Amino acid sequence: MVAAERLPFYQDRFRAAGFDPARFRTLDDLRAAPISTKSDLLAIQRSTRSHNLGIELEAAAPEATVTLSLSSGTSGTTFITHTKSWRRMQGRSSCRAHWWAGLRPGSALLMSAPAWHSYAAIQPFIAMHFEMPCLVVSGTYLPRFADRVVDAIVRFRPRFVTMFLPMVFSILATARHQGIDGNQLFSGVRTLVVTGAPITPGMRRHLRRLSGVARVAEIAGSSENLLAVDCERAEGLHVVPDTCHAEVIDRATGRAAADMERGSIVHTSIVPAGSVYLRYDGGDAGVINREPCACGLPSPRIKLLGRWEDSFTLGPQVLLPYDVQLAIEEEVPELSGAACVITREGLARGILRVLLAEPEHAAASLLDGARAALSRRFGERVEVAGVPNLPLRFKGVPPILSEQEAAAQL
Amino acid sequence: MPTLKIDPGEYPFYRERLRADGKPEAWTIAELESFASSHPGDPYAGRTAPALAAAVSLQLEATGEPPVWIALNDAELGQWAGAVARMWARWGTARGETIAFFDYGSSPLVLLASSGYVAYLRRGAAERLGLTAICNDGVATMAARMVSIVEAVRPSMLVLRRELVTPFAAALESSATTLANQVRWIALSEVEGAPTRDEADRVSATLGVPVHRILRCDAAFLLAGECPGCGAFHLDRLYRAETLPAHEVAVTARFARSCPALRYNIGTAELLESGCVHEPRAQRVRC
Repeated sequence: MVAAERLPFYQDRFRAAGFDPARFRTLDDLRAAPISTKSDLLAIQRSTRSHNLGIELEAAAPEATVTLSLSSGTSGTTFITHTKSWRRMQGRSSCRAHWWAGLRPGSALLMSAPAWHSYAAIQPFIAMHFEMPCLVVSGTYLPRFADRVVDAIVRFRPRFVTMFLPMVFSILATARHQGIDGNQLFSGVRTLVVTGAPITPGMRRHLRRLSGVARVAEIAGSSENLLAVDCERAEGLHVVPDTCHAEVIDRATGRAAADMERGSIVHTSIVPAGSVYLRYDGGDAGVINREPCACGLPSPRIKLLGRWEDSFTLGPQVLLPYDVQLAIEEEVPELSGAACVITREGLARGILRVLLAEPEHAAASLLDGARAALSRRFGERVEVAGVPNLPLRFKGVPPILSEQEAAAQL
Repeated sequence: MPTLKIDPGEYPFYRERLRADGKPEAWTIAELESFASSHPGDPYAGRTAPALAAAVSLQLEATGEPPVWIALNDAELGQWAGAVARMWARWGTARGETIAFFDYGSSPLVLLASSGYVAYLRRGAAERLGLTAICNDGVATMAARMVSIVEAVRPSMLVLRRELVTPFAAALESSATTLANQVRWIALSEVEGAPTRDEADRVSATLGVPVHRILRCDAAFLLAGECPGCGAFHLDRLYRAETLPAHEVAVTARFARSCPALRYNIGTAELLESGCVHEPRAQRVRC
């Protein structure tokens, strides 16, 4: 109702779609509302030459004290408005989410997001809510600053660490270079939360093994207010229901997907402040599970699997890099956590060609095993080539690159 | 502002440097790093009391092997943010405008802008002045995104990390975007110390906007802005400067109690006492 009354972007779209907000009673009624995408927002931004898209609440109030964060991507950058009341409401909700993920007061909280990112806008609130001292590492969260993060962890021994997945490998490698193994680095850490990329079960085990941390949890979120987090069961990420409503829709029909059926994640922000995203399709592929979770949390679970822009067709199947990662680790557990690349040239020929970093002491049989495993999953059109090394940032979910691009990274 | 009553002898770093008059010798960042190397168990390099419970610990970008940290409580964060707000206000801001940071979010220049950027800061510099804040990070590869910010957000003020000038200028040129009629000023910063006036002039000529320099020494909690009138760095009332032999200047941060910054040697400089028409009572440093 707020959107219909006060936000021009939605007024226009509701009218065009014939959606009558007066009929809105429950969140299920949202299904009749039109879906928005980043392209829609970018079109407004281009035509008005303004970051204000008509989706912002309270931004113009004198006491608003606004910060803007950025949502970058291949299609362009949009800007998200955070007001003080947004930070309070989203902050409280995020505190709950982090509690589910294992955060407890009593140690320092490492600020783990660069200031341009939405996540950075809520971490200060979390630290203050739990009365945790706050650690600010110099530089930013790129691999070349990994030594700085290692220094922070070693000196202050936080019990809860959140980190973008590629940075985890960078800091482990940097620590190793300093003579500190993963167990030493993370000694005292009770929960390691990874975010920024979907992790497979094998990757979770791999991270546990590398870090020695008993609980590796995942938080999935987006700059546009999607927030979901693992419970202890780690069987899907619970949507944080006080600020976020998530659906998965069939890409072809636009109808609600069945439980565990792959579709597009569409989410709605329930925070009546700052930038408001209603039925926003951010381009993520995923599944939803509305079955009760054994942990007792009532909110549905989702799992993001990657971005549709990274999907590819192999024979009759539409696949994501996540599927390749999952297939490798399920069939050849020794290769869990190995960095790999899917080549563009292969996909252009209708072949899944995977460059796989050969693990130390690897036998050729491992690569043969991976080839056989992928063939069983995806058909005969599979090639696997071993390469001596790949960057750490390719671990987790394989990127799709040309062979030349991959070689340039070696 | 009254001077803090701090006994330097309570702090290992200063205890080693105590003179007969009870003051510590002026020190440089290299000397702080040296102390840190020989006391690897102390992230703050001997500048905090044993029972310190810091609200915020900030790793100093200008230090390494090992990095040194500074500590602040909520009141100190607020006071430091106040100094930043007064620096911007001297250059001119108006409520409702936007200030953009092309620097790392971990820089105090960014952190102190908003309560949304760091915990325990109640009112950041931008909040005090009614400004909207946006940060793009300090990475050169993100220059295109800086241009996106200029085009869509239309900031009136930019805080620009020195090493990003070239990629930013190139990105502006390739997109045929100009700053001249939109940006009121650019504040140019360095990790430690200040860019030269010549460099600021070159940047101003390239970008077509007045450029003010920032004197930055995070280990001493020092952020001072260049005065467009007298060309010297005006020290906020939170700081007290003194002349050292060999034409050097030492600065004390009068608000820093959690991690005292006593007599930090900023290097070769000229200390000018009050007298600038723009801020008659301010101590000034020319360097």
